Amino acid sequence: MTDLTANGFGSWLVDSVSHADWLDDQRRLSRAQIGEQGIPTSKQEDWRYTSLKGLLEQCFTPVDETITALAPDDLEDILIPGLDSHRIVLVNGRYAPDLSMPGEIPKGVRFDSLRTLLDTDPDAVRDHLNRPLSALRAGVEDEPQPLFLALNTAGFDDGLVVRLERAAMLERPIELIHLSVGMDEPRVAQPRHLIILGEGAQAILIERYVSLGDSIYCTNAVLDISLGCDAILRHERIQMESANAFHLTGLYLNQDAGSHYQGVNIGLGARWSRTDLVTDFRGEHARCELQGLYLAGDRQFMDYHLDVTHSVPRCTSRENFKGILYGRGRAVFDGNVVVARHAQKSDAAMSNRNLMLSESAEVDTKPQLDIHADDVKCSHGTTVGQLEPEMLFYLRSRGISAALARRMLCLGFAGEIIQTLSSELLREHVSGQVGQRLESAPLD
Amino acid sequence: MTSAPAVDDIVRSEYEHGFTTEIASETFPPGLDDGVVRAISRRKGEPEFMTEWRLKAYRHWLTMTEPNWAAVAYPKIDFQSISYFSAPKRPEDMPKSLDEIDPVLLETYQKLGIPLEEQKALAGIAVDAVFDSVSVATTFRKSLAEAGVIFCSISEAVHDYPDLIKQYLGSVVPHTDNYYAGLNAAVFSDGTFVYVPKGVRCPMELSTYFRINARNTGQFERTLIVAEAGSYVSYLEGCTAPQRDENQLHAAVVELIVMEDAEIKYSTVQNWYPGDAQGKGGIYNFVTKRGDCRGARSKISWTQVETGSAITWKYPSCLLRGEGSVGEFYSVAVTKGRQQADTGTKMIHIGKDTRSTIVSKGISANQGRQTYRGLVRIGQRADGARNHTQCDSLLIGDCCTANTVPYIEVRNPSANMEHEATTSKISDDQLFYCRSRGLTAEDAVSMIVNGFCKEVFNELPMEFAVEAQKLLSISLEGAVG
Repeated sequence: MTDLTANGFGSWLVDSVSHADWLDDQRRLSRAQIGEQGIPTSKQEDWRYTSLKGLLEQCFTPVDETITALAPDDLEDILIPGLDSHRIVLVNGRYAPDLSMPGEIPKGVRFDSLRTLLDTDPDAVRDHLNRPLSALRAGVEDEPQPLFLALNTAGFDDGLVVRLERAAMLERPIELIHLSVGMDEPRVAQPRHLIILGEGAQAILIERYVSLGDSIYCTNAVLDISLGCDAILRHERIQMESANAFHLTGLYLNQDAGSHYQGVNIGLGARWSRTDLVTDFRGEHARCELQGLYLAGDRQFMDYHLDVTHSVPRCTSRENFKGILYGRGRAVFDGNVVVARHAQKSDAAMSNRNLMLSESAEVDTKPQLDIHADDVKCSHGTTVGQLEPEMLFYLRSRGISAALARRMLCLGFAGEIIQTLSSELLREHVSGQVGQRLESAPLD
Repeated sequence: MTSAPAVDDIVRSEYEHGFTTEIASETFPPGLDDGVVRAISRRKGEPEFMTEWRLKAYRHWLTMTEPNWAAVAYPKIDFQSISYFSAPKRPEDMPKSLDEIDPVLLETYQKLGIPLEEQKALAGIAVDAVFDSVSVATTFRKSLAEAGVIFCSISEAVHDYPDLIKQYLGSVVPHTDNYYAGLNAAVFSDGTFVYVPKGVRCPMELSTYFRINARNTGQFERTLIVAEAGSYVSYLEGCTAPQRDENQLHAAVVELIVMEDAEIKYSTVQNWYPGDAQGKGGIYNFVTKRGDCRGARSKISWTQVETGSAITWKYPSCLLRGEGSVGEFYSVAVTKGRQQADTGTKMIHIGKDTRSTIVSKGISANQGRQTYRGLVRIGQRADGARNHTQCDSLLIGDCCTANTVPYIEVRNPSANMEHEATTSKISDDQLFYCRSRGLTAEDAVSMIVNGFCKEVFNELPMEFAVEAQKLLSISLEGAVG
């Protein structure tokens, strides 16, 4: 077997419990792929602006125990008061039943811990876990999984499985809280979530990454989302990991005909983060919206990669990401829209706008179009700029302090994305967090 | 919608400029080693420093690997099967005037629609015509000399102005820059040298017509233009090539140096043989073009119309060093048949208040493959830098490809960077509108495409703009179906 330690991720993997032969095969394959790939370097297009140096300096080991010491009261600072949800809590990547409050679950809807499912009925998730990369990502044949997907496949040991049957409808949002709690040594959690919506099903998923304390840890989450025909999913992700954390998300979305995905990605935390949003249309007239807001403060690094593939005709995608950078913050935006041959009448629009507030900030953006069909409407736009001096002057001439004026303008800039969140409580929560971070930011 | 038969005829139209001039040329046998590099240098009677310069480049080139990141596909090039030198015969008695030029050669230019003498009279363009590798005709030298402008072949410049060559050659594109630039430095055959002294506005537009001719000979042109403080020069480069079966490699290097308040306007119309309908036999065009805005308020403007070549790999760039310097890039690229183009620009903002504008129009028809690849880098000290980028793609037919790969790196908060890109086809509404007013399908498409490219054509000198529009019409008219 290939030596995994050779590429620095050996410590991430331990021999996992065997649940099923097909899963063992998958994990073996993934391990082999990790070993063969080596460490991504800036020579690789996907890692051109992103260094793994900081991540590799840590020796992360997998979480091997379920934390039971937490009581519901400990969540007080984390919960959003008044938010009425089906609450699922994962502590260090493992389902914590004592902290979760799934509440009353309507007919046709199932929430399960992946760990439990694997123990009791692994074949229920076989179709979703045991499939080649080409089922997750269009345009790849026989290609190895990307490194962090392979690591997750080889190492996941829990996660949330949400299944909505045909026409099932969830009124209240599912609130999935990833809580990280400091351990003696740096730990890596690799949850794997499966979100499966049947034909015409509808749901709202709020995904939050939070921590107690500011310890060093790593999250490498993978979400595998399948939307059946005409299904609608609103997916709101708020990443507020600890200031010392490393965060990785790989989101793989497959949409059947007529389905609608509305995703909002808010990135505020972690010292180093990387988010891969990979979407593919499997049926016509589907629609995908990806919105994003990232706030890269001092010494923070945030990297967003979007891979949106129009492999069938008549689908629509909208990508709109906005970033605010200050201190020595760095952000990378790499958006790629692919329109395959014969995917006529595709409609895609991508936008990335950045606000740079300090001398030492840096943003690298790369919005790409890759078009193989002629009857399409595709566009992208990018801007990098700063606050308009006229606007600042206007506010200051009305007696508003420079700092407050800047904050108001930044919040206005961020507001466009924050407004797309579904609940007022969530909007207030995020606005508050953004405001707080800007307040403590060295803006000059 | 079905296309009119006339339209298909045009799409299938054979390359108009495909013919070969029978002219005795002295060509090296294929292959490349130290000896060949020395022989090229000796053959051109170069001083010792040039021979050394070439050898250094050659030895470094051996350590380099061929780049493979561009979105183009072609069979591997065997660099040992290429002949690295070919010169029209009788180099010892270089002609002093047009009368002395081989009539076959003149006829070639006339077939291409470049009547030298007419141009001399009508357009007032000095032409340094490059036929294969050695300059054989230089006109208007005298009136340029009166203005103090040096306009000659690089080989002459090596002899006559060694100090300028030593100072500037390779200072913008060093031989270490990339694989093809390294190869060019080692084996470049000839090219153009322009030096515009301080405060001089070049009295006429300078022009070189490139033409690849001798069979199986790579052409390695080298162009160096230096504009001293407060000067201005406009340079036109245009190319056509005769029909060939084998792929011909062309790896040119163009270096521009602009001092304080000076400006260089560099325009290209490239119409090399693109290969037949199966993509066989076209030119491989791997070019490194870079301008260095060294002085404050200096300006470089690149304008290109790329309709030919089987493969184009070309990124005219600007290093904006001087405070307030300006870089511009206007491009129209057409790929049809099986043509592939990976082209774009690099704007490196280093100085304060530097500005750059990028306008790129890509038209892809049939099975054409086109990529816009651009870099805008705004450095930490480039306060107040501004960039505006617009790249639009027009797709004609459902088998073509248009990619847009912009890299944007911003490290200064006072910078303003805007990038826009669109991809669309000629809409049925537009066509219907034109046709309902009595225009034929071809005329309508030609009109729409010309409108699409207008921003770029406006930047071309008048004579070139006319040629460019004609080229575009021939290439594309009626390719809609």
